[in-house]
Amino acid sequence: MIVSELHLMTPELSLLGFALVVILLDLFIKQKKVLAGVSIAGLIVSAGFTLAMWGAPTIDIFYAMLAVDRFALFFKFLLLAAAGLIILASQDYVSKFERFQGEYYALVLISAVGMMLLTAAADLISIYVALELSGISLYVLASFLKDQKSTEAGLKYLLLGAVASAVLLYGMALVFGLTGKTCLLCIADVVETMPIAGLLDNPALLLGIILLAAGFGFKIACVPFQMWVPDVYEGAPTPITAYLSVASKAAGFAVIVRVFFVALGAPSWLSIDWGILFAILSAITMTLGNVVAIVQTNIKRMLGYSSIAQAGYLMVGLATVGVAVGADALGRSGLLFFLMSYAVTNLGAFIAVIAISNKIDSDLIGDYTGMGKRAPLLAVALTLCLVSLIGLPPTAGLIAKIYIFNAAVHHGLLWLVIVAVINSCISAYYYLRVVKVMWLGAPVSEEKVPSSWALRASLSLCCLGVLLLGVIPGSFVGMAEAAVRIFGS
Amino acid sequence: MLADYGYIGLLLIVAILFTVSMPLLALSLSFLGIIPRKSNPDKTSTYECGMETIGKTWVQFNFRYYLYAIIFVALDVLTVFLYPWAVNLKELGLLGLISVAVFFAILVVGYIYAWRKGALEWK
Repeated sequence: MIVSELHLMTPELSLLGFALVVILLDLFIKQKKVLAGVSIAGLIVSAGFTLAMWGAPTIDIFYAMLAVDRFALFFKFLLLAAAGLIILASQDYVSKFERFQGEYYALVLISAVGMMLLTAAADLISIYVALELSGISLYVLASFLKDQKSTEAGLKYLLLGAVASAVLLYGMALVFGLTGKTCLLCIADVVETMPIAGLLDNPALLLGIILLAAGFGFKIACVPFQMWVPDVYEGAPTPITAYLSVASKAAGFAVIVRVFFVALGAPSWLSIDWGILFAILSAITMTLGNVVAIVQTNIKRMLGYSSIAQAGYLMVGLATVGVAVGADALGRSGLLFFLMSYAVTNLGAFIAVIAISNKIDSDLIGDYTGMGKRAPLLAVALTLCLVSLIGLPPTAGLIAKIYIFNAAVHHGLLWLVIVAVINSCISAYYYLRVVKVMWLGAPVSEEKVPSSWALRASLSLCCLGVLLLGVIPGSFVGMAEAAVRIFGS
Repeated sequence: MLADYGYIGLLLIVAILFTVSMPLLALSLSFLGIIPRKSNPDKTSTYECGMETIGKTWVQFNFRYYLYAIIFVALDVLTVFLYPWAVNLKELGLLGLISVAVFFAILVVGYIYAWRKGALEWK
């Protein structure tokens, strides 16, 4: 009976309930800080439910529409943490849209619900619905500032997102047409029994896979579906930019791993084919992201291109999963660990940018000159995060890269790792340029940079995460490995 | 495989020939005088049958209608779900009642939101 399965959805349902409460409270109370508190409480409750379910056995609920497994729970926890940090960091930012704070928090929570469902979705239909739920909330959030740039960002995101959804639907329709099933495990059964042949002899499946990759590629911003990133990242409110670059990307990777690994991972030729597809896209993605980031003068655009490059590194893990053909979990756990470290690092960088930009009212890298003297703590935090994005010790970025590249080399993707390492060297140039401007430039004024305790708390949590993942990665690696153990073997 | 594409190619050729030949046919027939040219006011009017429009077609509506339209759509969807539930009230039992109540509650939140934000005021 379906009702008895509802308790397995408590993380999403409770969060949705809190989102509704936030909307209602916003109408009746004047003190808007309460809304942030209620949102955080909702995230904590939801995270509690998620943690409580960690030990439970894997199960498919609602006629195999959603999967309740450690993989989904891991991502749910990651998304909830990201949303919580974003809400904390928004405290210094919400004054820019005083009138619409309730909507802001509610939409952040609802998009989190959408993304949590996306990571758990085990059926093409529920994947699409979850994708739209998170997408539509994010389109609204991107245009929240209501100025010219923000509106442009929202409209571009909406239009390109709609095109990506259409492409994704085409892919789903083709896969459904070929297999006659929408649930991922059923698709896997049909695909497994296909006669042994290359993808080229099976144009419908080939086109389906390419269209699916294109639709999801928009979500994770890989080349050639990255054109929305710089404009949307620049125009959207900075906390939302951070949210897009971390949570939306993590959910995108989760759904890609699930669709490609569960539904299309079975015959080895198929798995290797899409592995190679992602390997090639990965090489192009990181090269383009890094090279274009060099010439950026706006820090949000620069971090946008850097997040494209990071998506490229993450896709190295994806390619490894394909090429390794099932069984081996190392590639996948490398991916999950990289996502964890990328989440804390990128959030930290963006939160520091929120604090600094709020004071100097500019996103230009040149205006960050002398921040080391004006706001030493913020500058230290931003430096730490940028160093982690390069992948230098003693930070999370280094361990994550070692981990993911090691798996790739192990499975014969040496050429891709060489490309990635060269790219990391290129990336050092533009990351360190910000560091240089902050510490060696002369400050334009002596004014300190104020920030709220909430922002400082979230920033220190991120920095703590960066250091913890970098210095004692052991237990986190164990968590990531436990999360992927549900697949294969 | 290739033969299958051949059929598509054939259809493509037929489609191109058809679209090119039809205007050419019409033009050549009128050139030869086979098609008569007799114009009258009925033929040149916008609609050969039906009502003439009264006033300008670019009438402006008050944009507040749009808020009403959106709220209407939400409540309309509610009706779409309420009717089938009401018809099968007995079979669905308590479970159906609770499901509809939850759905209703979510919509009511939206309605209260629109109300408090002044979407129903006609200022």
